[in-house]
Order: sequence, then structure tokens, then C-alpha cells
Amino acid sequence: MTNKSPGVLDWILLITKRDLLISSKRSASYITPVAFFLIIVSLFPLAFGPEQKQLSSMASNIIWIAALLSSLLAIEGIFNNDFNDGTLEQIIMSGEPLFLLVIAKVFCHWLIAGAPIVVSSLLAGIFLYFSFENTLVLLFSLTLGSLLFSLLGAFGGALSLGKSPVLSTIIVLPFSIPVLILGTSCFNASINQQDYIVYLLYLGSLVAIGLPGLSVAIATSIKINYE
Amino acid sequence: MNRSNVFIAWSMKMGSPPGFFNWSTKWCFFIGLLSFLVLTVGLFWGIFYAPTDYKQGDVYRIIFMHVPAAILSQSILLLMASFGFILIVWRAKIAGMFVRAAAPVGASFTLLALLSGSIWGHPTWGTWWVWDARLTSTLLLFFIYTAIIGLYSSTDNKITADRSISLLSIVGIAIIPIIKKSVDWWQTLHQPSTFSLTSSPSMSYEMYLPLAICVVGFYLLFIYILLLRLRVEILYRERDTSWVKDYLNQRIG
Repeated sequence: MTNKSPGVLDWILLITKRDLLISSKRSASYITPVAFFLIIVSLFPLAFGPEQKQLSSMASNIIWIAALLSSLLAIEGIFNNDFNDGTLEQIIMSGEPLFLLVIAKVFCHWLIAGAPIVVSSLLAGIFLYFSFENTLVLLFSLTLGSLLFSLLGAFGGALSLGKSPVLSTIIVLPFSIPVLILGTSCFNASINQQDYIVYLLYLGSLVAIGLPGLSVAIATSIKINYE
Repeated sequence: MNRSNVFIAWSMKMGSPPGFFNWSTKWCFFIGLLSFLVLTVGLFWGIFYAPTDYKQGDVYRIIFMHVPAAILSQSILLLMASFGFILIVWRAKIAGMFVRAAAPVGASFTLLALLSGSIWGHPTWGTWWVWDARLTSTLLLFFIYTAIIGLYSSTDNKITADRSISLLSIVGIAIIPIIKKSVDWWQTLHQPSTFSLTSSPSMSYEMYLPLAICVVGFYLLFIYILLLRLRVEILYRERDTSWVKDYLNQRIG
């Protein structure tokens, strides 16, 4: 029993525990994206003037752009530290299906950098005068959207391992634009009392396609770097 | 020798850089000449003999450059993704060179489509740029090409670089339908697209035929440019091998 070699579940648990532990010791990893998000959101009222009507019409776009930018900021933290200290190599050497381990890593990254943004969008909703129902829609759509941003960011980060962070931004941005369009459409529909469920479904289906598809792509691109 | 053996022998020859290089020496010139002839016929027919459009006048004649460039901009990414798949699955070295050689050509054709569309849009729509579904998706396509070129040029190891941009173009091809769809959804909330290429009046035969010839001509031109770039790439990558040295000694004397 004690000599049993670790299976894939053990590896997933190990990676999750390790990533969460490291991030909890390094407060910058979860505070920086949130701070960045809130600063960008508060920049817009300062730049466009604090009229409530004008702000509410642009609000969803502001929040989504801020969420996208702060997810770009966090890309470097997904794989680069593990790449530099050799952990990533050990993960590949485990011989377990890499895409499953990648999903664990991306989920941890979302918990650290994505989920706090979703929560703090509640605060941003107060800044920008949202109603309760609109805030709820924003919460749902931003949850799905930030999952997609984390997946895309992991893909960009895996392709540009050990290279400049600007490169991963250039890779990720074109792919993020459909998510941005769907997310802002969803929120605008809920403000104008139109059917917003359809956009949530589209976002959800993108997550359903992106999770297996992108995790395989991320695993492949990590392996490419070690060949 | 049965059929499958012939195919395997052919693909072995094509898959090796010197085999492909020797094969392309003959075909490169032939395809270049053919593309020149077809483009001459198509463009002359289109610009001087095709009837004038009753709505737009002679301005519409930019279509003979714009539409082929726009078609190529998407099919080049499709080609890159196919060769990228071949590279990642079967490790054919030449496929990686294809992807690498095609990327800047694809970016140029996308830029050409955007610029010629802009020049066309100014007199007919009264504006250089509209955030219409087609225009936005073509712009995103251009950004994807930029990302591919940037990723290649910032990777030192060329084998890693080939595989990375292959993967990126495969994911890029998956995103194209999503881009197109999402911009359609987006348009339903904002103003509906006032102008669209697809809703232009259906063409007469005298306009359609030269356009089809131009599309074929531009495809041939792309293949010609691709072969030229590929030959340079092969010579550069294989610069330490004896066959390249022999070839260059022969050429320079």
C-alpha cells in the first residue's frame, strides 16, 4: 500500500495544493490583479466624467475590458515560475496525461487571479451604479468569461514560455475578443431588458469547447518547449 | 509497383528538403509564368473590358484585387493549419517550413484586403472604416497573423518555433467561425450592418468571369511566392549540409 506509485488523482491534488500554498504565501499573486482591476474601473469615471447615465451605458464594457486587462497581467504567473525552477519538467516526467494536470493548474490560477476579480466586480457594480439583477448577470457572465480568459492566458503563456510577456499578450488578445463581445452583449441585453440567457449559453458552450480543446493545446505547447 | 508504393515514394521525396528543392526548381518558374499570364488576362479583362457598374461606376473595379486577397487571407491560414497538423502529428520537417513561409504572405494578403476594402469604402460608403462583421473579423485575422509572426521571430530554436506557430495556427483556425459568429451577435445589438459585401447586387456574367480568373491568378501568385520563400528557407535551414554547398558552388561557379 505504502509503496504504491502515485496516480493521476494524486498528482492533481499535489499540484493544486502546491499552487495554492505558493500563491497564499505570495500575496502579490492575488492582490495585484484585483488592485489593477479596480484601478482601471475607477479610471473610466475620472476620464469620462461621473455622470450616472453615461457611465451606466458604458459600464459593462468598462468592467469587461478591466477584467481582460488584469487577466493579461496575470498570464506570466501561470507557467513561467514553474518553467524557471524546473517544476514543469517534473510534471511532464510524471507520465500522467498532461492535459489533466494542465486543467488543475489553470483552475488554481483562476482561483487565484480570476475569482477575486469576479468578486470585486460586485464592488465595481456599486462604483458604476448597477441594479441588483444586472449585477447578478454580470457575476455569472464574468465567471464564465474569466474562466475562458484563464484558459486562453494559459495557452499564450505556454506558447511563450521563457519569452517576453508582451508576446503572450499579443497571442491572447485576438482570441479574447469574441469572449469580450459576448460578455458585453450579455450585460447590455440585461440592461435593456432583452433576452440575455442566450449569451450566457453561448459563453457556457465556449467554456465547454475551450476546456478540453485548449487544455490539449496547452499540453502540446508545453511539450513542444521540452522537445 | 502498386499505387500506394508510388504515393509513399512521392511523399518521401517531397518530405525531404533536397527532394522538394529539386522538384520546385522546375515548377517554380512554370507556376510563376502561369500566374503572370492568368493575372494579366483577368486584370485586363476586369479593368478595361468588364461593364461599368450602374450604381458604383468604375470604382467597383477594385473588386478584382479585393476579393481574391480576402479569399486568400482566410485560405492561407487554413493551409497553415493543415500543414501545422502534418508537422505536429507526422513530424514532416518540410511542413514546418511551409507554415513559416506562408505566415508573412498571409499577413500581406490580409493587409491588402483591408487596405483595398478601405479604398473601396471611401467613395462608396463615405467612410474609410466601418465596424462591420466582415471588416472586424478580417482585422482579427490580421492580428492572429501578427501573433504567429511575432511568436516565430521571438523563438530562437527554429524547430520549436515551427511547432509553436503550427499549434497557434490550428487554434487560430478554430477561432475563425467563432469570431464571425460573435461579431454577428454583436451587430444585432448595435446598429445592423448597413453595408455588407454579401448583399451587393448579384453580378452579371461579364463581371463574374474575370473575377473568377483573378481569384485563380492570385492563388497561383500565392503558390509562386510561397515556393520562392520556401526555397530560400530550405537553403537557409540546410546551410550546413553538403547538397546546399554543392548547389551554391554550382550557381556561383
